[in-house]
Amino acid sequence: MSVLVFLEHHGTELQKGSLGVLAKAATLGGGDVAAVLVGGGVSSLAPEAGKFGAAKVYVVDDDSLEPPLPQARVDVLAKVVRDGGYDTVLFANSVLAADAAAGLAARLDAGLNWDLVDVELRDGELVGKRPALQDSVLVDVGWKAAPRLALFRAGSFDAPEGAGGEPEVENVTVELEDYSRGAKVVSQEQEESSGPSIEDADVIVAGGRGLGAPENFTLAEELARALGGAVGATRAVVDAGWYPYAAQIGQTGKVVSPKLYVALGISGAIQHKVGMQSSNVIVAINKDPNAPIFEFSDLGVVGDVHEIVPKLTELVQQRKGS
Amino acid sequence: MAVRASDYPPPFAPPEFVAEPTDPVDERIEVGVLIVGAGPAGLACAIRLGQLLDEHPDVAERLGDVPVAVVEKGKQAGSHLVSGAVVNPRALRRLFGDRYRVEDLPSYGPVHGEAVYVLTRRNSLRIPPPPTMRNHGNWIFSLSQLARWLAERAEEGGAMILPETAADKLLVAHGRVVGVRSGDKGRGRDGQPMGNFEPGADLVAKVTVLAEGTQGHLTGVALDRFDLRSDEPQVWELGVKEVWRVPTPLRSIVHTMGWPLRTRAKYREFGGSFIYPMGDDMLTIGMVVGLDYRDVELSAHDLLQELKTHPKIRKLLDGGERIGWGAKTIPSGGFYSLPKRLHAPGLLLCGDGVGMVNIPRLKGIHYAIESGRLAAESAFAALRRGATPASALGSYDEAVEQSFIYRDLNEVRDMRQVFGRGFFVGGALASAMTVSKGRLDLGKLRAEPDAEQPLIRSGRAASYPAPDGKITFDKLSSVFLSGNKTRDDQPDHIRIERTVHRDVADMWVHMCPAQVYEAAAADGGDTVTVQVSPSNCVQCGAITAKGGRLTPPEGGSGPEYTLA
Repeated sequence: MSVLVFLEHHGTELQKGSLGVLAKAATLGGGDVAAVLVGGGVSSLAPEAGKFGAAKVYVVDDDSLEPPLPQARVDVLAKVVRDGGYDTVLFANSVLAADAAAGLAARLDAGLNWDLVDVELRDGELVGKRPALQDSVLVDVGWKAAPRLALFRAGSFDAPEGAGGEPEVENVTVELEDYSRGAKVVSQEQEESSGPSIEDADVIVAGGRGLGAPENFTLAEELARALGGAVGATRAVVDAGWYPYAAQIGQTGKVVSPKLYVALGISGAIQHKVGMQSSNVIVAINKDPNAPIFEFSDLGVVGDVHEIVPKLTELVQQRKGS
Repeated sequence: MAVRASDYPPPFAPPEFVAEPTDPVDERIEVGVLIVGAGPAGLACAIRLGQLLDEHPDVAERLGDVPVAVVEKGKQAGSHLVSGAVVNPRALRRLFGDRYRVEDLPSYGPVHGEAVYVLTRRNSLRIPPPPTMRNHGNWIFSLSQLARWLAERAEEGGAMILPETAADKLLVAHGRVVGVRSGDKGRGRDGQPMGNFEPGADLVAKVTVLAEGTQGHLTGVALDRFDLRSDEPQVWELGVKEVWRVPTPLRSIVHTMGWPLRTRAKYREFGGSFIYPMGDDMLTIGMVVGLDYRDVELSAHDLLQELKTHPKIRKLLDGGERIGWGAKTIPSGGFYSLPKRLHAPGLLLCGDGVGMVNIPRLKGIHYAIESGRLAAESAFAALRRGATPASALGSYDEAVEQSFIYRDLNEVRDMRQVFGRGFFVGGALASAMTVSKGRLDLGKLRAEPDAEQPLIRSGRAASYPAPDGKITFDKLSSVFLSGNKTRDDQPDHIRIERTVHRDVADMWVHMCPAQVYEAAAADGGDTVTVQVSPSNCVQCGAITAKGGRLTPPEGGSGPEYTLA
């Protein structure tokens, strides 16, 4: 097996999600793993990829490719896969990676399994794990032929910095297809955000109708800031206009799996549950002891969020400060 | 003074949904016959047209590249269909002739036996099935499954089915219906186009057939535009049903009357339940209640939950698992509520949309299929002659009047109204009317629109069971089971007055099986603000009966029923 991992970067940092997939690939036991980096000034990021298990890094360092457009990346990936004879290409889900993966699958007439949360080698065969039926079961998925493409759900893997060495770096020159030059980025705006994005956050503090009023979302924001996390919201409060849709977690919002999920005043309707049930540790604070969320929380606190959360925030700040 | 939902008319005017074609001529999608709704009526119409055009290729040729198209707002044919679906097979037999036998269709077999019970809280009394409720010779289906099968037959016959397409506006030019405009996609909550915005398109046709089912959006618009409404208002019932996987097979079909509905006339709680086997390991159980009820706390969903706690019913479900849920209104005005005419220039109206339902017999699917078939024949006859002037489609009305649809509905014409007089009196009159084949004439009994019933509070909700997650369930988990994952950030498709008397707000909150409405805390006065979660909506249509107006959301929204 020869595995290639598509790495994404933001500015001068490699994205954690794609490093997690790289680290996972390195521990599969299927031999050396290579990575691909595309963008302006990415050469300097290649050694970093070595720490997460890349034995080799293909680099296309070209300022004109810095805008996050998928077609040029498909051109690069297709060439590297063909020239290097890679039979497996792994992606961490993002808007760009999903486009690139889909484009590559079409280009190479390859099979793509998406929304995977894990992967393993079983008797030499690559087997993916995909949640199905609203995340109630995990199904094993395979590929009929190589190359095998896989797109992993955000937060599927940790990215522990390993003892990996200096990777071999190969600069690749790619002739872009004409149609890959057709789109250009006119401008890029960055949403002002004080903390990590909801997809990347290790900690999410989410608020529901039980917060009582829109202004009480400051409780969630302050606790999130203290914990270094992001703020999420239920559909009910987004519907009511208390919080932006971008923060909505659940069936029709984002699906997240942080290490810690703190649910404030959230009843735990199944529509919300399917968006966060794969979180590592779920802590719920709700004054209604019959709230369904207590059925799937690791720690449930029956009480008033307005009393508990400010004290909790203070304690976290003290602990972090000391 | 008693409050009525009709005191708060919704911000809705039919002309908003009537338009002339606006797309440039070369961008319009031109079809021969355009059918709105991939349900039993619309698909029967498409299938029959396919048969006729197959026999007359010259006519097909004149209709262009797409002789027959069906638009469907659900994800696929059947996604928005819910029914108990014990079907009288005669219309299917007429539609398919010797092409298919009923045995070839995806069914759960013929009815083997039946039982009717009058329930009280703890007991049940088995009664002989009233004449209207005898189902020997009828077949059990899942209507959403049947529609998927019919859609395949329609496509085989050359029809193009366009799913995830809402028929948003009726296109009218020079007094003639010339098609529909499909709904926009990709608008945000505020109505502004988003990055993935796709505008709707003008679908122009020589004949347009509205087969939208209960509470059809454009059917309602057309009835007003062409002044087709009956002098008698249409009224509706609301059905909520579940599909269960059960350890022990149910043999007979079961109907119940009485509890948990209250039989005294002042409550106006007309309805009952059905429990039908679906093969050896499934059954469907549903509760139907007239929307002319009065108590603000009446909830068809919770009545179904309550019904399941009856010892006799619980026994059927114990050890089983709920695998499906759905809700839909049923037009129940019957004969007198049928529109004055079933056609307008360029337009034909079919099935549940115009109220072709026989409530005492609990049947409508075979009328829908038959009306679709007859619409196909009228449309074809007009197209064959090359004429579609105003009078050309009148043959449809004549055909319906000579069909069993008209005969059957006429026979039971007063039956729904008499139940307004309470369960036992109504039951006796209904039986008498059936036995006399309609010769017992009570004169024309008046019905009032559902939204005009004065509201009362009598503590209805006190007896609803708390959801236990095993036998009884809350509304949100039920909506989830319906497969509904409607995009949240789209424009609100539900038209209601947002500031209403709290009785009206509470009535909507309880009425809606999908938890779309919430009443904000009262500020001391009698009026409250209603909050709406439109993406929960399963498009059952109850709000249109009870003082609001449902319009179609973005195509592809709503439930994804597969077994309902």
